[in-house]
Amino acid sequence: MIQTKKEIRPAETGASKTVNYRRRESIKDFMCVVPALVFLIIFVYYPIVHLFKISFTDWNLIRDSYKYVGLKNYKWLFKGSGFDVWLASLKVTLRYTIAEIVITIVGGLLLALLFNHTSKAFNFMRPIVFMPKYIAVATSGVVFIWILHKDYGVLNQALKSLGLKPLPWLVSEKTALKGVLMLTAWRVMGYSMMLYISAMNSISVDYYEAADLDGANGFKKFWYITLPLLSPMTIFILVTTFIASMKVFQSIDVMTGGGPYNATNVMVFWIYSLAFEEFRVDRAAVVSIIFFLILLACTALTLKISEKSVNYDA
Amino acid sequence: MSNDIRSSHRYTPKFLIVLRYILAILVTLIMVFPIYWMVITSLKTPEELLLPVPTLWPKKFAWHNYRDVLKMAPFGQYIYNTIVMTLGIMALQLFTGIFAAYGFSHGRFKGQNVLFLVVLGALMIPIQVIFVPIYVMVAKLNWINTFAGLILPNAVSAYFIFMLRQSFKSVDKSYIEAARVDGMGRIGVIFNVLVPMCKPTVLTVTIITFIDGWNSYFWPKMVTTKPFRRTLALGVQELRRSYAGIETWNYNQIMAGATMSIIPIVILFIFLQKYIISGVSKAAMK
Repeated sequence: MIQTKKEIRPAETGASKTVNYRRRESIKDFMCVVPALVFLIIFVYYPIVHLFKISFTDWNLIRDSYKYVGLKNYKWLFKGSGFDVWLASLKVTLRYTIAEIVITIVGGLLLALLFNHTSKAFNFMRPIVFMPKYIAVATSGVVFIWILHKDYGVLNQALKSLGLKPLPWLVSEKTALKGVLMLTAWRVMGYSMMLYISAMNSISVDYYEAADLDGANGFKKFWYITLPLLSPMTIFILVTTFIASMKVFQSIDVMTGGGPYNATNVMVFWIYSLAFEEFRVDRAAVVSIIFFLILLACTALTLKISEKSVNYDA
Repeated sequence: MSNDIRSSHRYTPKFLIVLRYILAILVTLIMVFPIYWMVITSLKTPEELLLPVPTLWPKKFAWHNYRDVLKMAPFGQYIYNTIVMTLGIMALQLFTGIFAAYGFSHGRFKGQNVLFLVVLGALMIPIQVIFVPIYVMVAKLNWINTFAGLILPNAVSAYFIFMLRQSFKSVDKSYIEAARVDGMGRIGVIFNVLVPMCKPTVLTVTIITFIDGWNSYFWPKMVTTKPFRRTLALGVQELRRSYAGIETWNYNQIMAGATMSIIPIVILFIFLQKYIISGVSKAAMK
C-alpha cells in the first residue's frame, strides 16, 4: 500500500525516485527499532548514568534535597566503615556463586548421564526433574523454609531417622547459606541436565563406535569422548550460571533476609537494604557501581577464556 | 527424542538397566517431593502440622485452609494484578521485540550495527545494578503502586530481540521481496510472513516472557508498597505474618497460598513443555 502511493508520485526522474524511495524505506526500517531503543534508553542507559550521579551526592531517601559531596561515598566504601561489610558481602556472594556453579555443572552432568535414555518412563520423568526451574522462587522459597525447619522440618526428621545429625539450616550462621543452596540445587540441576542431554545427543555415534573397536570401557568413553566434547556446553553453563548467581536476591530475601548476622548478606541484598531500609541511596549507588564493574570484568574474563578454550566439533 | 548412546551399540547387563530405573525414579521422587509436601501441608490442620513426626498423608483433609487464605489476604486482587502485569509486559515485549527484530534483521538503515550494540549492551546492565535509579525515577513519576510502574520498566527485553532477530535472519530475503512485490507493506511482511515462519521461536519467547512475568518478584517488590497492587509472588509472603518477632505457625495456610499461586505455571508447563524445552536448547546454541 505504502509503495503504491509512492509509485503514483509524478515528475521525478528515475534516479532521484529510487534515492528518495530508498531513503524513505530506510527511515521506516529505522522507525521499527525506535520503540525498543527509546525504552532501553529510558530504563537502562539513563539509569546507569543517573547511578553515577547519585554516587557523588549525599542523598538520603527521607530528605528531598541533596548536595554533591565528591568521593565521600567511595571513601566510605573503601576506607571507611563500609569496607568490612562490603568484603564480607562479596565473600558470601562468591561462595554462593561457586557453589551454584559446581552444583549446576556436576549435578546436571550426573543427571544427564542418568536420564539420557529413551523409554516411556524416562520421557515422563525428565520434565518433572526439569520443572522446578519454572516455579517462582518466592513460592518454592517458602516451601523450603518449611522443609528445612529446625524442629518440625521434614528434612531434619528424615536425617534423624537415618541416624544422621539434624542441622539448624536457616537459623544458624554456619548453615544458612547451605539451606539456601538446597533450594538452588533443586531448581537448577534439572535445567542443566536438559542442556547437557541436548549436547550429548549431538555427539556423533561414530566416536563411540571407534572407541568400541579399540575396546574402551564405559568410563574411558565418558572421560575421553563425552566430557571433552561437552566442554563448549560446560563453558556456556559456567558463564550463564556465573552471571545469574552473582545477582542472587530472591531466595535470600524470602528465606533468610540476609541473616542470621549477615551470614547470607549477598551483594544485591545489601544494595537493597542500603537503599530501602537505611534509605542511603547514595551508598547504595556506590555499591551498585562497584558491583557492576566487578560483573563486567568477570563477564569479559569468562568470555575471553571461553573463546580461547578448544572448540571441538560437537 | 534420540537413542541412548551408551546402550545402543553394546550389550548392557540387565542389572545396570534396573539400577538406572531405580536411581531415576529416586531422583524424580526427590525432585517432586517439595511440590508434594507443599500440597499435603496445605491440607493439614494446625495440630497435625506440629506433630513430632510429620505425617506423609493428612489424617483429616482441612480444605478450609484455602477458604481461610482467601479471606486472610486479597488473593483475587493479587491474581488480577499478576495477570494484568504479565499480559502488559508480554504485549509490550512482543510489540517492541518483533518490530526491533525486523529492523535489525531485514531492515537497512544507517547505524544499524551500532544501534544493535546498544541492544546487546543492555544485556550487560542487569536490573539488579540499576534498580535504585529506576526506583527514583518511577517514584518521581508517581508510578509507585501503579501498573505503569510495574509494566513499563519491563517493556523491552534485549534477550527477546536477540532471539527473534536470529530467527528472522534465517528467513530468506526472497520471501520478503516476493511479499513486497505483491504489495504488502512492512507490517504485512512482519505479521504475514516473518512471524508465521518463525512461529516456534515467537511462541517460545512469549511463553518464557509469560512465566518470567508471572514469577517476577524483584521489581514488583520495589515498586509496590500496598496490598492492592501486590502480585502473587509477593502475596504469598504476606501470609507469613509474624507478630513481634514471634515465628508464624500458619504453614498450612502459607502452603495453600503457595499452591494456588503455582497452578497456572504448572498447567502451562505441562501443555507447553515442548516449546520451553526447545527454548532452552536454542538459548544454548547461540
